[in-house]
Formats: sequence, C-alpha cells, structure tokens
Amino acid sequence: MIFTGLILGGLNLTAQTDISKEYKVKAAFLYNFSQFVDWPAEAFPEVRAPLVIGVLGEDPFGAYLDEIVRGEKVNNHPLVVQRYRRVEEIKTCHILYVSQSETNQLEQIFTSLKGRNILMVGDVDGFTLRGGMIRFVTEKNKIRFRINVEAAKAAKLTISSKLLRPAEIVAPGKD
Amino acid sequence: MKSRATQRCTTRRKSRRAWSPAHAFMVLGLVIFASDAPGQTQETLPPPSVMKKLSVDELMDIDVTSVSKRPEKLSGTASAIQVITQEDIRRSGAASLPEALRLASNLEVAQVDSRQWAISARGFSSTTANKLLVLVDGRTVYTPLFSGVFWDAQDTLLEDVDRIEVISGPGATLWGANAVNGVVNIITKSAKDTQGLLVLGGGGTELRDFGGIRYGGTLSSNLYYRVYGKYFDRDSAVVPSGRDATNDWYKGQGGFRLDWDATEANLLTLQGDIYDGRIAQPGTAGDIAVAGGNVLGRWSHTVSEASDFKLQLYYDRTHRDIPGTFAEDLDTYDLDFQHRFPIGERNDIVWGLGYRLIEDDVGNTAALAFLPARLSRQWFSGFVQDEIALVRDRLHLTLGTKLEHNDYTGFEVQPSGRLAWNVTQHQTVWGAVSRAVRTPSRIDNDFFAPGNPPFTLLQGGTNFVSEELLAYELGYRIQPHPRLSLSLAAYYNDYDNLRSVEKVNPPAPFPIVIANGQEGESYGAELTAEYRVTDWWRLRAGYTELRIHVRAKPGSTDTSNGSGESHDPNHQVTVRSSWDLPGHLEFDAGFRYVSQIENQKVPAYEELEARLAWRPIPKLELSIVGQNLLHNHHPEFGALASRQEIERSVYGKVTWRF
Repeated sequence: MIFTGLILGGLNLTAQTDISKEYKVKAAFLYNFSQFVDWPAEAFPEVRAPLVIGVLGEDPFGAYLDEIVRGEKVNNHPLVVQRYRRVEEIKTCHILYVSQSETNQLEQIFTSLKGRNILMVGDVDGFTLRGGMIRFVTEKNKIRFRINVEAAKAAKLTISSKLLRPAEIVAPGKD
Repeated sequence: MKSRATQRCTTRRKSRRAWSPAHAFMVLGLVIFASDAPGQTQETLPPPSVMKKLSVDELMDIDVTSVSKRPEKLSGTASAIQVITQEDIRRSGAASLPEALRLASNLEVAQVDSRQWAISARGFSSTTANKLLVLVDGRTVYTPLFSGVFWDAQDTLLEDVDRIEVISGPGATLWGANAVNGVVNIITKSAKDTQGLLVLGGGGTELRDFGGIRYGGTLSSNLYYRVYGKYFDRDSAVVPSGRDATNDWYKGQGGFRLDWDATEANLLTLQGDIYDGRIAQPGTAGDIAVAGGNVLGRWSHTVSEASDFKLQLYYDRTHRDIPGTFAEDLDTYDLDFQHRFPIGERNDIVWGLGYRLIEDDVGNTAALAFLPARLSRQWFSGFVQDEIALVRDRLHLTLGTKLEHNDYTGFEVQPSGRLAWNVTQHQTVWGAVSRAVRTPSRIDNDFFAPGNPPFTLLQGGTNFVSEELLAYELGYRIQPHPRLSLSLAAYYNDYDNLRSVEKVNPPAPFPIVIANGQEGESYGAELTAEYRVTDWWRLRAGYTELRIHVRAKPGSTDTSNGSGESHDPNHQVTVRSSWDLPGHLEFDAGFRYVSQIENQKVPAYEELEARLAWRPIPKLELSIVGQNLLHNHHPEFGALASRQEIERSVYGKVTWRF
C-alpha cells in the first residue's frame, strides 16, 4: 500500500531536522528571556556561577537549545542547559521550561518550586493561570507570549519592559 | 508569503530603530535563508547563530506554521460545539466511550443494558439512532445496517484519546450524509505524545476487571510509534425486578499507531486496531460475538500557512454474530481527500472528494432477514466550502455544499450557510441554515420479518427515499469574565420523509411496510456554562431543552406518531465539579437529571458520579470511582416489556506511567 511504501521509503532518507520550527523559535525566546529578566543575587551561588536554563519533562528542543546558548553569557554568568526528568532533580535553575508532557503534574511542580527564583515558562492551557510566569501562545502561526507579572514578582524576578511591551500581561488567575 | 513577512520585518526595524550593519546582516541572513529553497512557500529558519541575535519582535514575526491544521478557536466557530478533553475523561472516571460522551451536555446518552447505548443529538434517540455521525480518527464507525453505531464494538484506550469534539446540529456539508443532527469526532493522540510505558488495571462491581498497557517509543529521530492492548469484563444489567439480565460480557482490543514527521510539511500516520468480544445472551441462543479490525493511513501535507491537503485511506472489517437473530460481516473501504487553500485575502476554500465501498454479508435467521443477504454498495462524494472574511476577524460567512451519490437514491445535495460575528474578542453571535439528509440504510430497504416469504409481519420499503432536514440555528457565546464562559445554542429543525411503518392492507394491522410517511419538527436549546471558581475548583453545567413533534403525512397509514423514531427526554441538566485538594488529591463529582421519556414511559431520574484520586508520586495514580450512586438500579431507556436497568457501581483503578 502507498502508505507503507512511503514510510519504508522515508527511512532511507537522510534524517531531517527533528525539531519543529515552533520549538526552534521558542528556544530562541528562552535565550532572549535570559537577557531581559533580573534575578536576585541569592539566585546565584557565586558571581560567576552559570545561569541555568532547565527543561523539565520531554525535551522538545533537542540539541537546538544548546546550540542557541553555546558561548553566551549574561552579566558574566555563562549559560548552560540542563534537563530534568523529575521536579526533584532541579537544583540551581533560573529559567525552567515545563514541557507539555508535565501537563498533568503542573500543580505539583508549582507547589514544590514555590518560593524559588525560577522563571517558569510553558505552553499548555492554564499555565499562567495556575502559577507559571510566561506562557507561549501560537496565534495566526506566530508565537506570542503572556506574562503573569504577579507570579514573577512573587519569585522575586524583575522582567524588563522590553519584554513586557510586546507581551500580553495577564492578571493573577488568568491565562 | 515569505517575501511579505520579510518586508514587514524590514519596515518595522526601520521605523523603530536606527539602522546598523548588524541589523543589515541579520536581514540579509533572513532573506538568504528564506530564499534558499526556491519554489517552497515554507520559510526556512536562519541558523542558531543568527536566531539568537533576533529581537523579541523579530522572533514574534516568524511564521511557525505547524504541519497539522491548528484547531479553530472554539469561541469563533459558527456551530454548537463542545470539546471533551483527555483531562475531562480522566477526571470523570468514564471507562468507555459512551460514558465519556456523557460529558457533552449537548448529547443525549442513555444506557440501555450492559452493552447497548442510545446516543443522539437533538432527538431521535434509539439503540439504532441514525442521525448522528461518529468518527474515530477520521474513520466513520457506522453500520450500513441502520446508519448508526454499535457502541459495543467501538473502543480505544481512553488514555490515548486527545479530545472528543461534539457538534450538535447538522454537519453534512463537511462530513456528509448521516451528519444530520450531529457529529462526534473522537481524536486520539499522536504517537509522539504517548511515549513511554503506561500500565493500568482495576476492578469493581459492574466493571468487574480491566487492564490496559501501552508502550510508545521512537524508531528514528522523527518516527514515533505506540502499541497498546486492553481488556475488560463487565457485569450484566438487571431486569426491573432486580434479577440478572444475563448479558455480562468481555472484550479485548489491541492496536498500534505510527506517526512520522517526515519533514516539517509532511506528516504520515498509520494506525490500526483489532478487537474481539463475547456477550452473554439469556436462554440457549449462545453468546453474541463481536470482532473486527481496521487499518488507516493518512498523509497530511502543508503547502503554506493557509493551504494544506490530506489524503486518507482506511479499511475496516466488522463481524457480528447474534445467534438466533442475525449475523453480519462488513467490509468498508474508504478513500478521502481534502484540500484547503486561500483565494485572495478574504476567501478560505476547503474542498474534498470521497469514495466508499461497503461489502455486507448478512446471515439471516427464521426471525428476520436482510434481503439480499450479500450486497456491495458505493458512495461518491464531493464538497466545497468557502469561508469568507466579510470583515476580517469580525464577520465570517461560510457557504458550502456537499454533493453525494449513493446506490439507493442517486444524487443528494446538502448545502449550508453559516455566519459568525465576533462582536468583541469575548463575544460571538452565530447563525446557520443547513439542509441535511439521512440516506437509506439496509434496515429501511432490505429488512423483512419473519425471515422467509411471505413476510407476514414486516416488509422492507423498496421505495424508501432519504429523510430530509432543514435546520435553522442561532447561537451566542460570551466570556464575561476570564473565569466564566457561557454558550447558548437554539434551533428549529424541519423534517420531511421520516421513516414510517405503513399498513399494506388496511385496516389489517399486518404486514407493515417501511416507508417515508412521517414529517415533523423539533426545536430546543442547549445552554452550557463553565466557571473556574478558584484555581483549584472548576464547575461546569449544561441544560438542554428539546421538543419533537412527528406526525403522519396526509395519506399515510402510519399509526406510530413518531413513537418508533424518537424516544427523547424534554430536559436534561448536568453539573460537574472538579476539585484539586491538598495532599495530591482530586475529587470530582457529576450530577445529571434526565426528564421522562414519555412514549416509553421511562420515568425521570437523577444520578450521581464521583471520583476520588490520589497521586502519591507523579508516576502513580490511585482512584476510586462511583457511578449511578443514587439508586440500587434505575432505567434509562426502553419499553417496559424489554427494559433493563443500570445498577449502582464502584470500581478502583491503578495507573502507572514510566
């Protein structure tokens, strides 16, 4: 049948980039966020400690995120990417992308990270409503984002107006 | 498209910032990378080194068209649609597709016995309800015997369901004949989204024991698969006295799905299921056997942001043997093509072609017969629909029609017009006028009783024509507050050529022949509300009002007055509450009130469902579910002589995810 033919035929093709365009752009956004957010001093164990971008759950970025941050620094903090399978594994982390695979555990993730200076970013429905700080939204095939400023404040994070201006600001309890 | 985006990018940059060589480089980069695939409308992204230098504004300007067409925002659509999500199903404790459909308040869902359900939208409910179209991943689960669904044959691992879209009202223009009063679209997750191992199991009083396992993995960097298997064993319903009705049953099912993101623009899916079940029958007749399988392939191709096409092919085989009544083997082959593209700035066209071949082989008995016993039938269809942006993002008019050819009645035309006005971002008013038909099925033409001539009881209607509907709909949706959304749909349906049973030799009551001797109208309203009281408490409510008047047409000798076609409650109320409690606990409750079914003398009833779940660790979920808690047993459907009742039940469930 044609479908089997197409699938078998396709296996011999050179592997295409497996990261969708959407997540490549989102990876670039995560890097951008590191430039426009201020963390309190206590978020870094030492002056030159790395700024950690974490991915919790199934990783949609693959190596692309590593390529984006390679060699980059923010205020003398080199950028590094870390991946976590469980929330318990998160130690030092500054930006945490919460994967769609964690949708059912959002409440638990937010509860256990409460009070930490982590900018939590995600793209599932209700992400900012339930306590996340930045939610990606795809509108007319372009990426937009919503920011819950109150949640960021509660985590002692200051978000630059350069990031707030193009974003949609959502009230606490809104998504 | 691409050049427009780049231009926009450039002008923006000029207007907002001073021009610099760095910017020039980036624009050059974008242009080069955007143009390195000539002839392709998909933009290619610059490499990471350029990407990370783009500003937030520039990133926001990049088109990220996904391969699959994004689902339309519910708030803007011009039809009465409700969506049941995976989370809704999980939290309801529903253990079968019909139970999950109870979550859509715009459906009538009545359990008839341990395996049979009467499910319909906007009336005409029966176990052989024939005006609702049900699809599982684009495959019509339809028996040409009566144009309805054998619910005991339709199942999937509920954990794999992504969502169920329930549209009440005609959907014939897009979906075709049979989508007269509604469409149910059951959509399972991509294999990409079901990676890892899932194991579940449990048991209880009615759902005696059940288990399921699914494993999802990756074959190559963008080829995902899953395989699953499930099993359940259900207890009998009871007769009104409380005695066992001897229809306990069990069923096993397995299947697979492959999703290959071949390129950003090409998505291929291959999936299939196989199942086998046995249902006890009272007396000596022997068990009912239900078995079958299907395989479906789909190729989705994205041409550009506004254009894509889809080619789908499936084969479905079902086997049903009801000893003493009839047996059926059915093979369905279906080929479907759909293409979407824009014309100018204002017109979004969707058109498609379809072909279906059904081969049916019925094993007749002394009691009843479908004649001829073996039959092969073909359907050809085409449709075109234009969504016209009269005022962009504000006022949309959708005009379309389906043209279908079937072996019974030849060509059928099913046009519709829909208008949606987004008054504000949070308020939509919509209206629609549609024509839909229910084309004849074997039960209308080929059904005889007893099973041998001279058929002294019932004779098929060889002149049976399609049942026709002209539907008028009006709807309003509003989100007055971020936590509250309300939706109201009202309709007036005008039916003609409804099925009747006419006397052949009046006044002699028998034999009767099936004909189109009835007409009628129905009207009603569906109201739904969702309120997120707090972050941890969500409330949903639904109310439906339905009135149906069916009568014999002039000259008809039908005496049923619609009672053979329509067994519907006039009101239904549902309320659901979902609580997230401390200590990783969830508590959900659902209440429903269904008014009496007058012509069957089924009394009104209210029932309660409840679920308590605990997740001590993220991988593990323990839950206990109670269904139909308010009565020892209660009837939901059926004439008194053959009526069965549904018992209170409780089951426990353990789910492990790795």
